[in-house]
Amino acid sequence: MSVAVAAPGARTPTDWSGVILKVYVALFLGFMFLPILLMAGAAFNANPTPSALDWRGFTTDWFTGRTDEAGRVIVRGLPQETRFLQGLKHSILIALGVIAISVPLGLAGALLLTRIGSKATGPLYTALVSPLLTPGIVLGVSTMIFWRDAFGVQAGLFTAMLAQSCFIASYCMLMFMARLQRQDRSLEEAALDLGASGFFAFRRVTLPYLTPTIVAASAIAFLQSNENYNTTFFAIGSSWTLVTEIGARMRFGVSPTINAIGVIFILLTVVFAALWAFSLRKKTA
Amino acid sequence: MGEMARFYGRFLTGLILALVAFWFLALILMPQISMIQRAFHYEARDGAAAQAVLEANRLQQRVATMNFDIRALEREVAAGVSGAAPAAPSPSNPFAGLPSPGAPRPGLPTPGLTPSPGGASAEAPEARLERLRAERDGLTETIAESRATAQRLRAEEAAAQGWSLRNFTLMSPLHWRIFGLTLVYALCVTALSFLVCYPIAYAAAQAKTPRRTALLLLALTIPYALNELLRIFAWTMILANQGLLNHALDALGIIDLSQGGAIRWLASNGSVFLVMVYTYMLFMVFPIYGSLETLDRNQIEAARDLGASSWRIHWRVALPHARPGVAVGAIMTFMLAVGSLSVPQLVGPGLHPDWFSQIVNRNFFESNSWNVGSAQALLLLVSCTIFIFLVMRVFRVGIREIAR
Repeated sequence: MSVAVAAPGARTPTDWSGVILKVYVALFLGFMFLPILLMAGAAFNANPTPSALDWRGFTTDWFTGRTDEAGRVIVRGLPQETRFLQGLKHSILIALGVIAISVPLGLAGALLLTRIGSKATGPLYTALVSPLLTPGIVLGVSTMIFWRDAFGVQAGLFTAMLAQSCFIASYCMLMFMARLQRQDRSLEEAALDLGASGFFAFRRVTLPYLTPTIVAASAIAFLQSNENYNTTFFAIGSSWTLVTEIGARMRFGVSPTINAIGVIFILLTVVFAALWAFSLRKKTA
Repeated sequence: MGEMARFYGRFLTGLILALVAFWFLALILMPQISMIQRAFHYEARDGAAAQAVLEANRLQQRVATMNFDIRALEREVAAGVSGAAPAAPSPSNPFAGLPSPGAPRPGLPTPGLTPSPGGASAEAPEARLERLRAERDGLTETIAESRATAQRLRAEEAAAQGWSLRNFTLMSPLHWRIFGLTLVYALCVTALSFLVCYPIAYAAAQAKTPRRTALLLLALTIPYALNELLRIFAWTMILANQGLLNHALDALGIIDLSQGGAIRWLASNGSVFLVMVYTYMLFMVFPIYGSLETLDRNQIEAARDLGASSWRIHWRVALPHARPGVAVGAIMTFMLAVGSLSVPQLVGPGLHPDWFSQIVNRNFFESNSWNVGSAQALLLLVSCTIFIFLVMRVFRVGIREIAR
């Protein structure tokens, strides 16, 4: 510090770089949020082409839809877009399946890798992590081909679920490994020494220790599954999820109902983030 | 393995092994193998053999018509000899002037015959007959040849069915070009993403207070609550001809929208790059942030106190420390960019040059040639693998560091 005081002139240029960095961060945040704001704005614009600029009055029709007394549809909103709703159902079904598959697989992989001290760990680790480094398009295509060629299973919700599980399990495994590496092994040892069976020790010592990670891994699996497009697009065949339906809609003429879905996504995220922060505060208090 | 059995007991160990085996075999290995199988399996589709057969059949039909003509001519000639010739039958209408069934079977044309009277053609029937016969013989030979060719081609195709490199060697030069360009595009996206993300990761890692770091990271994550496609959609709203960017330029007086001076942003690959950088940014920011976070701020202070310029501090202190993070970020971004279907497909589709993933998509879902599509998907996989090894070499990092 004394050097810095002795030579204050040397600080001036670094201050400039600090200013530049600050300006850059501000610009960057604008770059991040501007698209989102525009998108939310267009959801409440009566203009049937999604736009936040060409303002034609405030409306919530894109969320609720509008019908006249006779029940004829005037504005197609979310309730009229049955394919979106059906797609949402498919998305949730797939996501639940993905959780059921990838969390146990990830846990098994993590237990195997952290507990065997042999040389096989390296290649096995590489193999189990490889789906993360594989382009999604390849995962989707290969799953679709395998299940059709080997078992005659046509691409659909089932293959989409398996294709997603393949790489989501790797995410789960990494999360479990991080947790397991911090575990105090002596607790398990003690349980075993006291005469507990291996299964019992696992159920009463290791599993409770892993519970927070199981919850977190399930949440990540759910989000990743719902978010995924590239893999799902290839593996799902003629069926569809919310995301692939949005993609299809974007290719063949857009509608502000997509913006309405975006707004709902944002609101849900804010609510869940707030709940999560609240639960953390409660725990620490 | 023994230690595990001791730890968890036989049942649990067996379950763990079974689950991992299922994951590895049914979800990772076997699908890849079936894809590779198809990639190296050639499926003859249009077929030169089929064309040769078609051609032979066409010729055969012509010969049949000619035979008819020849027979008619022969009868005419024979009738001409007996001197009771009716009107000359026309080859274009062989049904006209058919002789009575009692007509004698003609033999060789009688020499020294006079031309048939009333015939419109200047050609003598004998000469005509001669010519047609020669032509027929020629055609018969051609047919035999083309049948033989068809057979040979069929055999070749049958031999080519099965293991071969044809899915790669028969790929059109255009598709190879698109493949090469896609690799270049993905590299561009990776480089751009690094340039955009490094300062942010640095700012987050070296922020004055932990609160600031948390806020910055939160600000980075919130847009990602929105699904990838919705983020892309938001950008198409900005870049559209009547979008925000053109309106802003109009307001600044740079372009004139009312005069149709809109810049077609979506028609350029630049907009695909921009949206990709935006869409996959977190995969670059977080790894770099992760490795910069462990950089002791005193090191930077020390370098600064010793008179190093900011540029030099980054080049000699911060960047070398961020090496593993940069490697991970580059690998993830490249992989996502090269295999991304969503961005090129949804940002100005058909306006900008094609990406390879779009070609793969077309082969699977439009021309229904799965084997060619598999070969192309395999090319993507191989290029990603090579890129990973290159990065691991250049940045001197191991696989453990790569997967977090």
